[in-house]
Amino acid sequence: MATVEERVKTVTAQVLKLNADEIKGEDNFTADLGAESVQSIELVAMFEEEFGIEMDEDAALSVETVGGAVDFITKVCREQGVEIEE
Amino acid sequence: MNKKTKRHKLVDARQPNLVEDVYVHSLPPLIRFDGPAVEYIDGEAVEFDFGAVKDRPIVITDTTFRDGQQARPPYTIDQMVHIYDLLSRLSGPQGVIRQTEFFLYTKNDRETLDRCRALGHKYPECTGWIRAVKGDFRLVKEAGLQESGMLTSSSDYHIFHKLKFRSRKECMESYCEVVDAAFEAGVRPRCHLEDITRADIDGFVLPFAERLMEMSEQVPEELKTKIRLCDTMGFGISYPGAELPRSIPKLIYKLNKEIGVPSNRLEWHGHNDFHKVHTNGVTAWLYGCDAVNTTLFGFGERTGNPPLESAVMEYIALKADTCGMDTLVITELADYMRSIGLPIPDNYPFAGRAFNTTRAGIHAGGLRQDERIYNIFDTEALLGRPARVAITDKSGADGVAHWVNEFFGLKGGERINKIKIHKLARWVIDQYEVEGRLTAISDQELEAKAKEFFPDYWAKHTASQK
Repeated sequence: MATVEERVKTVTAQVLKLNADEIKGEDNFTADLGAESVQSIELVAMFEEEFGIEMDEDAALSVETVGGAVDFITKVCREQGVEIEE
Repeated sequence: MNKKTKRHKLVDARQPNLVEDVYVHSLPPLIRFDGPAVEYIDGEAVEFDFGAVKDRPIVITDTTFRDGQQARPPYTIDQMVHIYDLLSRLSGPQGVIRQTEFFLYTKNDRETLDRCRALGHKYPECTGWIRAVKGDFRLVKEAGLQESGMLTSSSDYHIFHKLKFRSRKECMESYCEVVDAAFEAGVRPRCHLEDITRADIDGFVLPFAERLMEMSEQVPEELKTKIRLCDTMGFGISYPGAELPRSIPKLIYKLNKEIGVPSNRLEWHGHNDFHKVHTNGVTAWLYGCDAVNTTLFGFGERTGNPPLESAVMEYIALKADTCGMDTLVITELADYMRSIGLPIPDNYPFAGRAFNTTRAGIHAGGLRQDERIYNIFDTEALLGRPARVAITDKSGADGVAHWVNEFFGLKGGERINKIKIHKLARWVIDQYEVEGRLTAISDQELEAKAKEFFPDYWAKHTASQK
């Protein structure tokens, strides 16, 4: 199974139409990767689908970086009993 | 630079102060006063206690069928009867909408009046409107009305240039003869002092009003002359310090306090030529005139009259109570007016299709969190019109989420969050960015998409509509 980081990068690349290999953990979704308002919503929705979790809307949308998303999703997966490869 | 006279220290708070004693939300924001207003009249400072309006018997009167009809093709009899019926429901048992006036000259005019009265409503009371011609009171009497308006123009523009009197004295004598004819017919005359804001107040208006008061001493209370102050061209000014003849405060003070015309026999009739019509009407209330004459949606000669529905909202704001009025009827009236071909602009307050529709995504975000942030009051409770968002490229996911939740009627914890509406939000954005659309997205289009993207909610929604 791919790690959380790899899966986050794959989803991000799909939604933002980027190359997954070029996405770094410190990248800011908006400033570095060019995510627009609706794309931020789509990212959260796709992360929920990818990991089979439900995230708090405000908390999820306040995550700014790819690394932050990895940490946040890892935490939610643990809370919701979802198995992941770290 | 002005010298600072007082320092203001931040009052820190952990809980918001929403000023809810004024912005009660279940009613329009209350209008409260914290002291008297002062107007200098003939060099003397005169205080006016606006707060007293809460307990004064102020009323709204209506001229939708008279002045309102001068701005459009005639209503049919059925239309007028239906509007009258709705006005009565809006007015409520206390008769806040106290009177409405009818032409009496044609067979249709008289049939309309008969059919309205046959409905048996106490309010609005039906009154007439005639020229200042003695013989016309026969029409009023035959119609069985207790009161009729009559034209008694007061400016020299009208006295000399329109009515062609040779002198003011001749004019006043002519008017007084008609007032006498009204008394003889047992009808209360309501003298419409047309063009009062261009009249010679000291030279004609006050002497005429004084004469009317003297004549009224000879008749019982129910026949005593009323005075309607007609700001025919919308020249009236509400600001303190304005001079006569344009000053509404001074006009009312002089008639009310100097001549002694009681407040319940004074009525203000305005026009909107300078966008002042609503405020001028309310000013008249505050300075001592009990009745403000209005029309539905402000339809009236040229730019129109004080909108009745705005007067209703102001009334509630001043009284801090709906006073028995059924404000939901305003929406019914607006729908009816549109159905018979009267255009009401979309952004028209209280009744336009989009009066409480926000377009900016950031505003929609506010609405989604707490409707009080961007809705003027509980428009759903008072007008049957929940706050809405119009969907364009500026709406954002917040706007789309608000639309979806309002459409499905979801409240509190049931509401769908914006993550769940991402497909619809994407479709909206693509309409503009991919399809090059330039118009707002209609409710019908959004409904079709709601059905596609939210089939479970759609099924529940359609089941609940059955």
